[in-house]
Amino acid sequence: ELDLKKLEPILEEYVLLLTEADVAYEVAEELIEKFKERLKGKKIRRGEDEKKIIEDALREAIYDLINIPGPDLVEEAKKAKAEGRILKIMFMGVNGVGKTTTIAKVAYMLKKAGITPVLAAADTFRAGAVEQLKQHAERIGVPIVTKPYGSDPAAVAYDAIEFAKARGFSVVLVDTAGRMHVDVDLMNELRKVARVIEPDYKILVLDALTGNDAVEQARFFDEAVGVDGVILTKVDADAKGGAVLSVAATIKKPILYLGIGQGYEDLIRFDPSWFVERLLGE
Amino acid sequence: MLEGVRDAVRKFLRSSADYETSVNMFVKELQKTLIKSDVNVRLVLQLTRRIKERALKEKPPPGASRRDWFIKIVYEELANLFGGDVEPDVKPKKIPWVIMMVGVQGSGKTTTTGKLARFYKVRGYRVALVAADTYRPGAKDQLRQLAERVGVLFYTEPGDDAVGIAKRGVEWAKKKGAEIIIVDTAGRHRKEADLLKEMEDIAKEINPDEVMLVIDASIGQQAKPLAETFHKTTPIGSIVITKLDGTAKGGGALSAVAVTGAPIKFIGTGEKLDELEVFKPKKFVARILGL
Ligand SMILES: Nc1nc2c(ncn2[C@@H]2O[C@H](COP(=O)(O)OP(=O)(O)OP(=O)(O)O)[C@@H](O)[C@H]2O)c(=O)[nH]1
Ligand SMILES: Nc1nc2c(ncn2[C@@H]2O[C@H](COP(=O)(O)OP(=O)(O)OP(=O)(O)O)[C@@H](O)[C@H]2O)c(=O)[nH]1
Ligand SMILES: [K+]
Ligand SMILES: [Mg+2]
Ligand SMILES: [Mg+2]
Repeated sequence: ELDLKKLEPILEEYVLLLTEADVAYEVAEELIEKFKERLKGKKIRRGEDEKKIIEDALREAIYDLINIPGPDLVEEAKKAKAEGRILKIMFMGVNGVGKTTTIAKVAYMLKKAGITPVLAAADTFRAGAVEQLKQHAERIGVPIVTKPYGSDPAAVAYDAIEFAKARGFSVVLVDTAGRMHVDVDLMNELRKVARVIEPDYKILVLDALTGNDAVEQARFFDEAVGVDGVILTKVDADAKGGAVLSVAATIKKPILYLGIGQGYEDLIRFDPSWFVERLLGE
Repeated sequence: MLEGVRDAVRKFLRSSADYETSVNMFVKELQKTLIKSDVNVRLVLQLTRRIKERALKEKPPPGASRRDWFIKIVYEELANLFGGDVEPDVKPKKIPWVIMMVGVQGSGKTTTTGKLARFYKVRGYRVALVAADTYRPGAKDQLRQLAERVGVLFYTEPGDDAVGIAKRGVEWAKKKGAEIIIVDTAGRHRKEADLLKEMEDIAKEINPDEVMLVIDASIGQQAKPLAETFHKTTPIGSIVITKLDGTAKGGGALSAVAVTGAPIKFIGTGEKLDELEVFKPKKFVARILGL
């Protein structure tokens, strides 16, 4: 039988290892605490490598935590098209995480699959935000609906849906302004957008470089607006992406895609086993 | 700067446990607090190891109690971590003063460039902004709009010759009599070799008086390697922490201080142009330590 007392230092090491991979400290601590329960009463046969057994068990525990099935947006778009309805996806998150770029990547992915989405430039606040999305739309070759700076974001999103209906497009991707999750007025503004357009998916965009704050971001957005899935960006910045665990543990919502560069092709589906390898592998 | 720390340590040491146990308990708590604030784990372990060693080895001078001595040790080591408690000097040391903004994607460079333009304009300087981010769609429009809002000189060119734009922009600004010239560059990270090379080339051409590293308060453990790479490529002169209006504590910036030796000069506390403050060490220490 495993001697948990003796393992205490190793388990503490794991907490640090996880925090070094940017898993939020409280999440890492709790994960290892629960993991201890799992180890209780585990038997080892003579000659078996104790450390390997523990590590395999930890891999399993992490895999179980993050293996939350989520929608494939291309499949969803195809379904919507076949059924003659409009798939509405709204992107949200704190400032600078990569929302606008991610929308461009998703638009590119859909276009490549034969479905042309409409972009809604509902960030009417940040300098250059409309021009940024417009340039993406032009490069990718998809329509975009804009309004002057200072316009009501909900009105832009609404117009984009009307536009899609009128012209027979079946997907609308709504870009929203970055905002701090603790800014009550701005979170209410986001709620209003959601109320007006009733999105099929509200996607939280999260920066893989984020440390402990990932927990806060996930919790606040989920409570205020509701999160259906998460996209983690900038994974190419050598970030281990521990935020994946922070999110899974906090709001139990699936990670859908990872952003792995600034190009349109740099969006991949999230694969839990790949991620566990990255987190714990050599 | 650390009165709050002093109180916290004092309170902790009031416990009835023996000295060594108290020290161990305190060190554990401190570790937790710092890691939760995104201070680099390795830095935290180094710091707490040093505190423990000193606490158990050093003999207090005659008249001082061991517990008082411990407070002094913690105080010293933390002051060290935070890079001292002097408020930064934000006055340009010569005219014209050329600042080059660098940082990872989305950290807040362009916005901070606009804020700095306002900050110095309000203080009577003639300011020029140069938009040398040729990668991000809309980046030049973004800075142009900010320059117009503040009412300062603005330079950019179409096309993707970032080095040339920066060089000609600084020359142009000097000719126009600008006293503070700020060059905005594209976001980049330490695995983007081409972009790092570009950053080095821009610095070579414009020879900035100050390279300003912009760090997002929410960044975690990658802050250290990131700052290291940036510092190796173009030596960092100062640091700005952005987005301190959120819930992130900003401990990542301490890694940047540790590896570059550069002071934190400004903090960003919102998206608006006037939401920039000169860095106050005391307030920041209190935030990181949760005092
Ligand atoms: N390296 C890398 N950069 C990325 C990735 N995703 C986005 N970026 C970059 O991050 C920066 C910010 O991206 P945006 O899309 O403007 O972020 P945003 O969340 O829309 O920002 P706001 O609207 O201002 O809140 C840009 O320079 C993007 O090119 C990624 O996966 N990898
Ligand atoms: N809440 C808040 N938002 C900020 C602050 N500073 C910048 N931002 C926001 O952060 C986002 C990214 O800022 P940018 O200035 O575009 O960042 P950047 O570093 O120039 O981005 P790239 O050029 O793509 O690398 C924008 O939404 C800004 O409004 C701040 O102090 N507080
Ligand atoms: K960020
Ligand atoms: Mg955006
Ligand atoms: Mg920029």
